[in-house]
Amino acid sequence: MDGVQEEAIHHTALKLADEIKHLSIYKSFYSDVQKLVSSPNVEKENFKQTLQQAMKEKGLDTKLRNTVFHWVRTQSKHCRLDPLTSLSKASAQWEKRIHKSLNSMCTDLETSLAKVRLQSEQDILTEKWSELSTYNLDLSKYRPVYAPKDFLEVLLTLSGYVPFTRDDEPKWEFAHLPLKVNKIDQLRKLFPEWSSGEPLLGVNPYMPSTVPGFSTLEAERISLGERVVALGYAPVVQEYLKKGSPQCLRAKLWSNVLGSDIKAPQVQYFNRLKKNVLEVDLMVDKLIFKDVQLTASNDDQYFVFEDLLYQVMLCFSRDVEVMQLLKGNIGNPPVVTIKGKQTSPESLTAFPPSGIIPFHGFTMYATPFCYLYDDPVQLYYTFRAFYVRYWHRLHYISTHPQGIVSLCLLYERLLEANEPLLWVHFRNININPIRVVFKWLMRAFSGHLPPDQLLLLWDAILGYDCLEILPLLALAILSFRKENIFQVNTLQNVDAVLADLSTISVIPLLQLALMKP
Amino acid sequence: MNQEAKKITNNLYGRVNAPVVERCRVNFCTDLEKSVLMSNFERRGWNQVGPDDEWNFYWASTQTCRNLFSVESGYRMNDNQMINHFPNHYELSRKDLLVKNIKRYRKELEREGNPLAEKAEVALHGGQIVTRYVHLDFVPVTFVLPADYNMFVEEYRKSPQSTWIMKPCGKSQGTGIFLINKLSKLKKWSREAKTPFHPQLTKESYVISRYIDNPLLIGGKKFDLRLYVLVTSFRPLKAYLFQLGFCRFCTVKYDTSVTELDNMYVHLTNVSVQKHGGDYNNIHGGKMTVQNLKLYLEGTKGRAVTDKLFAAMQWLIVHSLKAVSSVMANDRHCFECYGYDIIIDNQLKPWLVEVNASPSLTSTTVNDRILKYKLIDNIISVVLPPDGVPDVRWNKLPNTEALGNFDLLIDEELLEKDEPSGSHSRGAKSKYK
Ligand SMILES: Nc1ncnc2c1ncn2[C@@H]1O[C@H](COP(=O)(O)OP(=O)(O)O)[C@@H](O)[C@H]1O
Ligand SMILES: [Mg+2]
Repeated sequence: MDGVQEEAIHHTALKLADEIKHLSIYKSFYSDVQKLVSSPNVEKENFKQTLQQAMKEKGLDTKLRNTVFHWVRTQSKHCRLDPLTSLSKASAQWEKRIHKSLNSMCTDLETSLAKVRLQSEQDILTEKWSELSTYNLDLSKYRPVYAPKDFLEVLLTLSGYVPFTRDDEPKWEFAHLPLKVNKIDQLRKLFPEWSSGEPLLGVNPYMPSTVPGFSTLEAERISLGERVVALGYAPVVQEYLKKGSPQCLRAKLWSNVLGSDIKAPQVQYFNRLKKNVLEVDLMVDKLIFKDVQLTASNDDQYFVFEDLLYQVMLCFSRDVEVMQLLKGNIGNPPVVTIKGKQTSPESLTAFPPSGIIPFHGFTMYATPFCYLYDDPVQLYYTFRAFYVRYWHRLHYISTHPQGIVSLCLLYERLLEANEPLLWVHFRNININPIRVVFKWLMRAFSGHLPPDQLLLLWDAILGYDCLEILPLLALAILSFRKENIFQVNTLQNVDAVLADLSTISVIPLLQLALMKP
Repeated sequence: MNQEAKKITNNLYGRVNAPVVERCRVNFCTDLEKSVLMSNFERRGWNQVGPDDEWNFYWASTQTCRNLFSVESGYRMNDNQMINHFPNHYELSRKDLLVKNIKRYRKELEREGNPLAEKAEVALHGGQIVTRYVHLDFVPVTFVLPADYNMFVEEYRKSPQSTWIMKPCGKSQGTGIFLINKLSKLKKWSREAKTPFHPQLTKESYVISRYIDNPLLIGGKKFDLRLYVLVTSFRPLKAYLFQLGFCRFCTVKYDTSVTELDNMYVHLTNVSVQKHGGDYNNIHGGKMTVQNLKLYLEGTKGRAVTDKLFAAMQWLIVHSLKAVSSVMANDRHCFECYGYDIIIDNQLKPWLVEVNASPSLTSTTVNDRILKYKLIDNIISVVLPPDGVPDVRWNKLPNTEALGNFDLLIDEELLEKDEPSGSHSRGAKSKYK
């Protein structure tokens, strides 16, 4: 047994040693080590030990460990080939529908998917880059390609592909899908900090500390957090985030755990994305403008960040690395010619280069970061890392245990098992309970919860590195409001009961959901 | 812990907190039939009466209040009557008097040798060295025109490149305000204003203040804060700060160039100004909550500077109130809710712009309505004794539950007694001794 394990570790180490050479940090890291080797601190006689010591002192050790941490996290255990062909079929069809709809929108509006931007337009765009809200565009004819409810309709048809449906089960249940999800007892084990009722940030601002020398839990967490930031070791940061981050340290902690710190190459790359936005006019740009306008611009929590969001979302659409990082997870974007460019390899582009078509509310994946970063570049990379690690799973069809289908199923199972009366009530009034929470799940509650609560929720997503928290919170909110839900019997009225989440405290609710009665 | 969490969730999720409805007969009278007022009175089951009837609680205009207290009216209030203004609120709310009182307050402290009145030399933007109060430098340098014209010119010459803002003393909502960057412009204005610079003849006086030309910008836009402060007594001073203030944003990017000097959408944050702009959004009304401002500042600038800013704002409020406490007619029947206008500069220093005695109760958005409804609800529960019937013999020590979203800023009576903290107070206290 041990032998097998050792072999596996050896195998991984070889692979790592090989792949690390292709990572962007390799060159500078290697030259740093070389410099160190020639320093007097490293002795020839005692090479290994003195080098390791010197690397520790210079912080190279942490850098290497973090690199390994981030590399390991990208090596998904999940088999890329979807075992459920029905799902991959549905996913391909859905993708086709989206592209068809984009194409017909282009035809209707007599525009093209990609064209060279006129010089005059480029000049205006360049000038207005930092205040794109004043960039005049007629968007009245543009519509979001799809909204959460359209996507839900697609998901709801999935169960139809499964041949064996028992008669007494409603057709809409995700339970028909042969996917395994956790039960509440398993979740209790996954989130021990919540289920055991440990003192956590986000419960009560005046909660006293149990550690001598600190008046409040918050003061204690800040002090510990400052040491965690100074250490800068990603796995420790991740552990720390489970109990919630103070807002003043969050920006650093998040970029550390996601490996999204920025250096000169990242800034250069961001500027290249910007250049591409300025030079090439993609039809998605209009959709992005429209989405920011429909969401952030009208939201009292985010309107002040409107201009920042235009920049970030436009650049995101041009980011080929996103597509590369998500290969196999997000389908294949079509390649189109850029109208007005001389025929050459350069005149072709994936549409869009990132491969991601925004839906109505897509911007909401980025908005909360505005409370952490005012520099667009730093905001960009943390948002992008979050998207690549988590958010894409919420709007692509897959069997991944963190994918939207599994999350819907988890929600359904949790509701049925833990709130049976509510489950029956939904059945009696003939409402599919997923309908009342789907938009929360798909947007990871962004735009629904106030930002301070949302950030606590996202701390937990990073800390536990999982999205199952989303259906769990949906369940907790429903339990909390159940008396009001029992009073109503139309979808519209249930939605009204659940519309205002401004008074929700996320962490206490999650605790209540997991603590044994 | 389990219990603890439950208790907290229960508290947190009460929507607009609706305590047991007080069914006792309180007769109210109001000059203002705003829905945030009326719905609060209704929910409490109060009975509306006219100004000549036996009212217990009067939500009056400042004018009505002054009339009631005037000698000519001959009106005498009984112990079960309360009114929402102090008769000479203008000591705080008139732009010229506010500055006059603060200047006097500082001088007094200086004469006493109080360390609060410490002075030090500071460098202005232009590099000039001037002497300023270290702890009490929270209003922009201001002069009353025409009275202080010569003093203004002297100050102007110290840094001729700075911008000044002219505001009529008796107006509000941004009316009559303009910016000045040259003395010649002021002279031209005074000629055109016809009334020569003779104090006796001038109908309208103005204040001229140093323009804060380096405001903190978010998303490139200028904003100011509207904070609500409830005073239930000036001697001893008892004041409360409402947690739910908001920021009011300009709709146009901030721009200090001379060509934009007359563009009020760039410089004035009043909603009454901004709502006429083409970019005004009536869903959010350009308003962001103070809690979100704090979240943003903590996230992007850090905890220490954010805490310092918020402490400095409380400091500023307390001392502006202390500055007028000796001149206010401290009538037991009165309480007042002030709207503080504060600008934060890019060094995160707060500046007091003005104090309104009748802050707008018009709701521009849904959230605005919720906020103002809570404000009125909380004011009523702080100023009334626990049994819910106005009674000026009450000791004006509301318990913690009655505070709602108010935090105690200062209660000199409590400070004097030096009571152990926790029984009545919440928030900062001994800081302002
Ligand atoms: N000294 C100043 N520096 C910068 N801006 C100012 C200054 N004074 C006033 N303002 C701006 O003008 C607005 C209106 O001024 P204020 O004194 O509040 O008069 P009003 O009674 O008309 O509201 C303020 O809300 C603020 O945006
Ligand atoms: Mg004002």
